[in-house]
Amino acid sequence: MSAVVQHPFVEALVAGGSALPATPLSWLNQRRATALERANALSVPSTRDEDWRFTDLAPLNRLHYQAPAAAVAAVDVAPFALPESALRLAFVDGVLAPALSDCGNAAAGVTAGTLVEGLKSHPALMEAHLAVHAPFEQQFFVALNTAWLRDGAYVHIAGHVTLPKPIHLLFISTRKDAAPCPRVLIVADTGAQCTVVEDYVSTTAEAYFNNAVTEIAVAANAHVKHVRVQRESLAAVHIGACAVSLAKDSSYVSQSVALGARLSRYNLDVVQQGEGAAAVIDGLALISGEQCADTHTVMDHAQPNGRCSQLHKTIVGDQAHAVFNGKVFVREGAQLTNSAQQSRNLLLSPRARVDTKPQLEIFADDVKCAHGATVGQLDAEQLFYLKSRGLPDGQARKLLTFAFGAEIVDRIPVPSLVAQLERAVMAQTQAGV
Amino acid sequence: MSSTAALEQLVNQPYRHGFVTDIESDTAPKGLNEDIIRFISAKKAEPEWLLEFRLKAYRHWLTMTPPTWPNVTYPTVDFQNITYYSAPKAKKKLASMDEVDPELLKTFEKLGVPMNERAALAGVAVDVIFDSVSVATTYKQKLADVGIIFCSISEAVREHPDLVRKYMGSVVPTGDNFYAALNSAVFTDGSFCYIPKGVKCPMELSTYFRINTQESGQFERTLIVAEDGASVSYLEGCTAPKFDTNQLHAAVVELVAMDNADIKYSTVQNWYAGDEKGVGGIYNFVTKRGLCRGVNSRISWTQVETGSAITWKYPSCVLRGDNSVGEFYSVALTNHYQQADTGTKMIHIGKNTRSTIVSKGISAGHSNNSYRGLVRIAPTAAGARNYSQCDSMLIGSKCGANTFPYIDVRNPSGKVEHEATTSKIGEDQLFYFQQRGIGAEEAISMIINGFCKDVFQQLPMEFAVEATKLLGLKLEGSVG
Repeated sequence: MSAVVQHPFVEALVAGGSALPATPLSWLNQRRATALERANALSVPSTRDEDWRFTDLAPLNRLHYQAPAAAVAAVDVAPFALPESALRLAFVDGVLAPALSDCGNAAAGVTAGTLVEGLKSHPALMEAHLAVHAPFEQQFFVALNTAWLRDGAYVHIAGHVTLPKPIHLLFISTRKDAAPCPRVLIVADTGAQCTVVEDYVSTTAEAYFNNAVTEIAVAANAHVKHVRVQRESLAAVHIGACAVSLAKDSSYVSQSVALGARLSRYNLDVVQQGEGAAAVIDGLALISGEQCADTHTVMDHAQPNGRCSQLHKTIVGDQAHAVFNGKVFVREGAQLTNSAQQSRNLLLSPRARVDTKPQLEIFADDVKCAHGATVGQLDAEQLFYLKSRGLPDGQARKLLTFAFGAEIVDRIPVPSLVAQLERAVMAQTQAGV
Repeated sequence: MSSTAALEQLVNQPYRHGFVTDIESDTAPKGLNEDIIRFISAKKAEPEWLLEFRLKAYRHWLTMTPPTWPNVTYPTVDFQNITYYSAPKAKKKLASMDEVDPELLKTFEKLGVPMNERAALAGVAVDVIFDSVSVATTYKQKLADVGIIFCSISEAVREHPDLVRKYMGSVVPTGDNFYAALNSAVFTDGSFCYIPKGVKCPMELSTYFRINTQESGQFERTLIVAEDGASVSYLEGCTAPKFDTNQLHAAVVELVAMDNADIKYSTVQNWYAGDEKGVGGIYNFVTKRGLCRGVNSRISWTQVETGSAITWKYPSCVLRGDNSVGEFYSVALTNHYQQADTGTKMIHIGKNTRSTIVSKGISAGHSNNSYRGLVRIAPTAAGARNYSQCDSMLIGSKCGANTFPYIDVRNPSGKVEHEATTSKIGEDQLFYFQQRGIGAEEAISMIINGFCKDVFQQLPMEFAVEATKLLGLKLEGSVG
């Protein structure tokens, strides 16, 4: 396989996945083996593949493979802590750090722990959901993550239980050349409600590779809010995928924010499996320097009466490159679907670049679908207005840029995280632009 | 009567232009190799450089594979099972319209193109292409008086070799894509138009293409050059007889606009689309591209696509000159099992370049209609501006409408806006018409014409009338 030869680091990762010890569960061994087979069979994506056309994986080649470390590094989690969270699961370089986690006051009906614990406590549920929703037949990095599936975070909300406080899943990277494959499974039973914050942070400025996969199963009438924050080291490579399955009349509301990583890619696939399900998909990428942030979303309306609204924003400075690909599928028979998508992009420098591709594929006639995309700079009239009020040009630009990004950040339902992110957005707009 | 049933009846309209003209053809054996290319070149008594041009394209073509990215499915085309040259037997030169083969004239009559009358009445010069060889050219003298060259490509190669050599392949290089390379290797005829400096073409130029001999692919080549300050409006209309075997059509159209020049290219395409089971029909794989080379130049594409089993067509504008303008107005109607993957590319290179895209897709039956477009703002294109709008309408629940807009911006002063919507004809809209005493069929026709109005307004008057009729014809049916 010629493509793997060009990716010694990824090749070593695939080989590492085959060396993992077997688990006592045959179905899990089977799924891991199939994924490993696919990872071996698929070539590492290149810009020749339509899905990776604008995103070059070259930064991956500058990494050197190391076996996962045995000991968990000591980390101060205080800067990342969310005071209002009900519980926190902290993973350091892919391994759960009980000392940094806080599972003290979990409410009744809420299970949050490692996948290994989940496999013991809810084996049937695990078999029904784990490595089921995120397909890996064609997705190289999902296959790689699944082949490496040993542990991860597991959240289960029992039927009709409402958890008002957010659950914080914190993934901390501390080591150069580390290559964890974080895995998250969230299952919300009928009528359950929860908010989950999936947070990728680092304590190092070195390069490493994070290959994350999240699966979210939302049962009938359940409501899941999902916040995904990627604030990795500016040298890191972050590849993440999230697969969401929505049952009848359920809802999924998500905000994803990408601030860090030299190269980041996020694939969000939402499948509306039941009638009347609703989704909100918001995204923000704020990048500068030589960063590249790539977001691919798929909203698959497989059943009638679905609703989806999506707003994806990017702020691109210096020589950074933002990519957005949003696909909306309306399957045959998915009548009365109402789906709207917006891609808004702000270019701040002459060498910044944006590639955006909003797609509609519609096979039902009684639907309402719209998408829009804009790429441009700050509005001259808005600038003039602020300047007429006495703000200097630079100040006015920063304020408008901040406001552009804050529209997404302010939708996050966790106030302390909003404050943290607003500070980060403010710092970046002050520094970069 | 339910409106769905009415719609189904409306969109099922048999092809009116299906008949075969019986004219002897001088046909090359099937298949493609260097000998066939030499045969075509020799038949047309071409100069050495053109043969080299063809052979270079052919050799490049051999290394290429057909594109698989369009959202269309069809059986693999056997390029060795196609006749690459077929021409009506050479006859003595014709001095007037009276000498044109009456059979041929009858064909145009059936198509509703009374050429002589139409030419005289409408002031339109029709350079008639009939199965690859130009048979008659009218109004040539009138054009020659102002210095405009309007003739077939073969004639241009003979009479104006320097011009053809200078511009052919300058917009669409021989190795541009699979079908453009094939066309460059085997193109048989087409139109050539040259507007000298400062000349405004006094009439609309128009050409009728028509595929006739069964299984003969048509490989037309059109080249239009507008010099500084020149302007021209060019019309192309297409109809074809009914056949069951798929016919391949791979045309190349190149437009070159120099400083302050203005080219408007309008197409009405109504080739045979296959029957209601999806059998037969034309494969229309066309490369159309315009180059705004000079400052303040403008190229405008308008197309009404209603025919062909498969359409693969992206009329594009390369906006190289500062302040140049590119426009694309399109209506694509698909019915039965037709597939269309069409759109445009706007490549902004010069400063303050502007482009507008208005695309209207209508899908009915089991058809699949895709808009695929690219807007690229290069780092050099300061102050570039694009506005795109693509709307789709679905008639029936078995059809599909897709949009794939690619937006690639590398200059912060560029401004790109894209909007797309998908809808169906509303029950309340229909109800409103009907309660005013307007029947369902007429109401649908009016709603669809309203939906396409932004595009039809761009067409020259005669074509606008024809396009409105054509859409009506396609959607016409008995309402019980």
